[in-house]
Amino acid sequence: MVSRRVFVKSGGLALVSFGLDPLFLARAAFASPAPGHAPSGPILVCLFQRGAVDGLNMIVPHGDRIYYEERPRIAVPATDVIDLDGYFGLHPSLAPLKPLWDDKTLAVIHAAGSPDSSRSHFDAQDYMETGTPGSKTTPDGWLNRYCQHDREHADTPFHAVAFGPELPRILAGSAPALAIDDLQAFGLRAAGAGARDKVTRAFEALYQGGSTGLVASSSQEGFEAVRMLSGIDPASYTPANGASYPAGKLGRSLKEIAQLIKADLGLRVAFADVTGWDTHVNQGASEGQLAARLTDFAGSLAAFMRDLGDRRGDVVLLTMSEFGRTIRENGSSGTDHGHATAMLVLGGAVNGGKVLGRWPGLDPAQRFEGRDVAVTTDFRDLFGEVLARHLGAANLPAVFPGFAPDQARFPGAIRA
Amino acid sequence: MKLFPLIGALALVARTAPAQGPATLTPRDSSLHALNRLAYGPRPGEVERVAGMGVLNWIDAQLQPDRIPDPVLAAKERAFPLLRMSRQDLADAYTAAQRARRARLADSMSRTAASPADPDPAAMTPEVRQARRLAGELQEVAVVRAALSERQLEEVMVDFWTNHFNVSLTKGADRFLLPDYVEHVIRPHALGKFRDLLIATARSPAMMFYLDNWESVAPGSEPPRGGGRRGAGGKAQPQGINENYARELLELHTLGVDGGYTQEDVINVARILTGWGITPPRQGADFAYRDWAHDRGAKVVMGVPYPAGGGEDEGRSLLSWLASQHATMHHVSRQLCARFVADDPPDGCVDDAVAAWERSDGDIREILRAIFHGPDFWAPANLNNKVKTPLEFLVSAVRAVSADPDSTPRLAQVVARLGEPLYQHVAPDGYPERQDDWVTSGALLARMNAAVAIAAGRLPGVTVDLDSVVPPTPDPDTLLDRINARVLGGAMSAHTRSVIRDELADLRDPAARRGFAVGLALGGPDFQKQ
Repeated sequence: MVSRRVFVKSGGLALVSFGLDPLFLARAAFASPAPGHAPSGPILVCLFQRGAVDGLNMIVPHGDRIYYEERPRIAVPATDVIDLDGYFGLHPSLAPLKPLWDDKTLAVIHAAGSPDSSRSHFDAQDYMETGTPGSKTTPDGWLNRYCQHDREHADTPFHAVAFGPELPRILAGSAPALAIDDLQAFGLRAAGAGARDKVTRAFEALYQGGSTGLVASSSQEGFEAVRMLSGIDPASYTPANGASYPAGKLGRSLKEIAQLIKADLGLRVAFADVTGWDTHVNQGASEGQLAARLTDFAGSLAAFMRDLGDRRGDVVLLTMSEFGRTIRENGSSGTDHGHATAMLVLGGAVNGGKVLGRWPGLDPAQRFEGRDVAVTTDFRDLFGEVLARHLGAANLPAVFPGFAPDQARFPGAIRA
Repeated sequence: MKLFPLIGALALVARTAPAQGPATLTPRDSSLHALNRLAYGPRPGEVERVAGMGVLNWIDAQLQPDRIPDPVLAAKERAFPLLRMSRQDLADAYTAAQRARRARLADSMSRTAASPADPDPAAMTPEVRQARRLAGELQEVAVVRAALSERQLEEVMVDFWTNHFNVSLTKGADRFLLPDYVEHVIRPHALGKFRDLLIATARSPAMMFYLDNWESVAPGSEPPRGGGRRGAGGKAQPQGINENYARELLELHTLGVDGGYTQEDVINVARILTGWGITPPRQGADFAYRDWAHDRGAKVVMGVPYPAGGGEDEGRSLLSWLASQHATMHHVSRQLCARFVADDPPDGCVDDAVAAWERSDGDIREILRAIFHGPDFWAPANLNNKVKTPLEFLVSAVRAVSADPDSTPRLAQVVARLGEPLYQHVAPDGYPERQDDWVTSGALLARMNAAVAIAAGRLPGVTVDLDSVVPPTPDPDTLLDRINARVLGGAMSAHTRSVIRDELADLRDPAARRGFAVGLALGGPDFQKQ
């Protein structure tokens, strides 16, 4: 196993003799705040749409009569679709993303998904997070495995961050990763700054010299993370360029990710998820349930990219969902669990303005098991391309065991 | 003076020199160690109590939980309606929640847009709220029992087997199947025969739903008219076998990944278990063997033939056979030794456990007895060498200050925030035992916060009366002596003592000093270990 703890940034502290104030010394080491803590480099933000998003109503094949035949009640009318290339178009709620398409920082990979045929949310999310479709016992997630093999940058507690109360499967594993539910509340809690400093200092002294091994290095990382955050003051953050994040959880997560990126704390991979895509009943067409979710989704993504400004060049945001939904609407004006869906890639490095991947078509003969959009892009080829071409990952076979990544199959999401 | 009267009898059980037993430790150290491993840590005064009765006597008593009265817990359990619900009650709650969800979604036709703040319009029906409440109760009951039960080893073993035979609340109907699973499948067999436990889990609706065996049918088989089952989520009628349970049965529950089976064996195990299914929720969601779905062809599993024409019984004989394989004994014994002795279990512990397994025909009580009486359990290197899991940390803190949990799900939610939402481990391998999986910077900070909160009496879900444990005192050395003896069971290091003493210097109020010191003691490094 890769050594879990490559990070001991202020390793010199271990030599400090007893009686000196380690917090003081560490503060001195970080006396120059904000930019420059860590060199900026490529960053990957993964966004999981949990519940299986209906790719066909998100990126609409409005040029296909079968789409309208199969969805008499829930198809998005061609007059409402925001056309992209004459055949595909955006759901009207995704209008905030159109400028990104136009400046070629947004690409769509349609008919992407898992080679495994499971239509269980539970199994399919698990497979997409472990990166090993069909195998349920993989202990770690593919983003964590990427971090395990990316030794070069593993020198900050903010290397890999998931926004949520617990570390998701995708980041579970031996590489250190932080789960942050709320950036402002991260660290020790106490009434008032003085009390907070005191309890932080006390615990740091307890762990420094009172613990060994993993507990010692992890706690040191934690105290360092607290210090780094106190330098950027998350509470007073104002998004740049007039960006306005929607009020929901996704908007908050992306806003906090933007803060971390701009604070140069060494963020390399970030993860957030967003729920509400399991539209079995009355999913709506141009308006309705799915439209409302897409409004929040597009508003959050657009605000994030706007807020990033120039830093968009460093960042790629990748969306994923465990599977797509049936081509034909069901008896409740909704859609059931299907197979392939559409995934989005946004950012300065993206080969944008294109719908990528081979489109299998909606004709019954071309469907998976006679009913669903077939998968023509294995999600590992897309994720692998982003890791290799954006983050510079050198060891894809270790990230996706049992899979032979092949550049020839990369969908072409990242500019060469 | 003979501190351990059982030591003579021990020699009959332990294969190696009895001199390696607890006799090499002080009575206090051996008692603290036993309380850390067989229990969720000591309560104030408990180290002395166990040392007084003899640690081996206490261990023997813990191995016979039925003989230990538990009135405090019994009274507390009355606050949980879940424990009075039958399997049919739970199935009815499931059907009601499903029906309400559909009705609510259909009703949302009139709504043009669901607000982003309320992404799931089904989330708020009373039936769905009830479902959530039941899940919360299930988790809370586990924490309350771990904290309060006098039958500590039994609770530890229920937790162990719940992870070994993991089923996740997050998978649809399992939310309603789990209470019965924990109560009537795992618990009665926690110290019984491994074979019975294995068969009980295999037949449990919770496991069958979790690992899809209920959908596994002989290829080409058709249900009799009127007797068919409808799949969930618009799924078509199952076609053919599903290998999911068969694979995990061999890999996780019995032989282990290196147990010598092949993919062909997995397929044949799945074929043998075709027809093991579940009755519809309206009929109680109970085990049902459906002969029409059973593959009646001949099979071979790891060289053992199962002739054509077999029915439900061949599944039972397969499970019995698996339960007695050496690979199974070794695999499960390793996990037990990892839980009780060291993350990397010593070979000697595993050998002792396997020998006891063979002698006793897989009697879990005897396997545990062999582990607790073996030299590895008492080796000084194996004291305080394991990091507590989030559940172990929080429950041991609750016990350390004699906190009284209420019947709200709040304490279980703290365990979840510390990283171990009970019954919600998604993958079939259950929560891990190794420290690498639990020790992260964020997790340690969260433990420190929980420790400070419990010492300050503001941890949600418990009442703390610190005065009854460590009365405030103006003298810092007296205070630290009392905290060490009463809260940490004597495990406070010199470093911890010196740091806390320094930190107390600028605090004047004795109650504030006491709270601060207890918070640091529980959140500090000494208390993370067991």
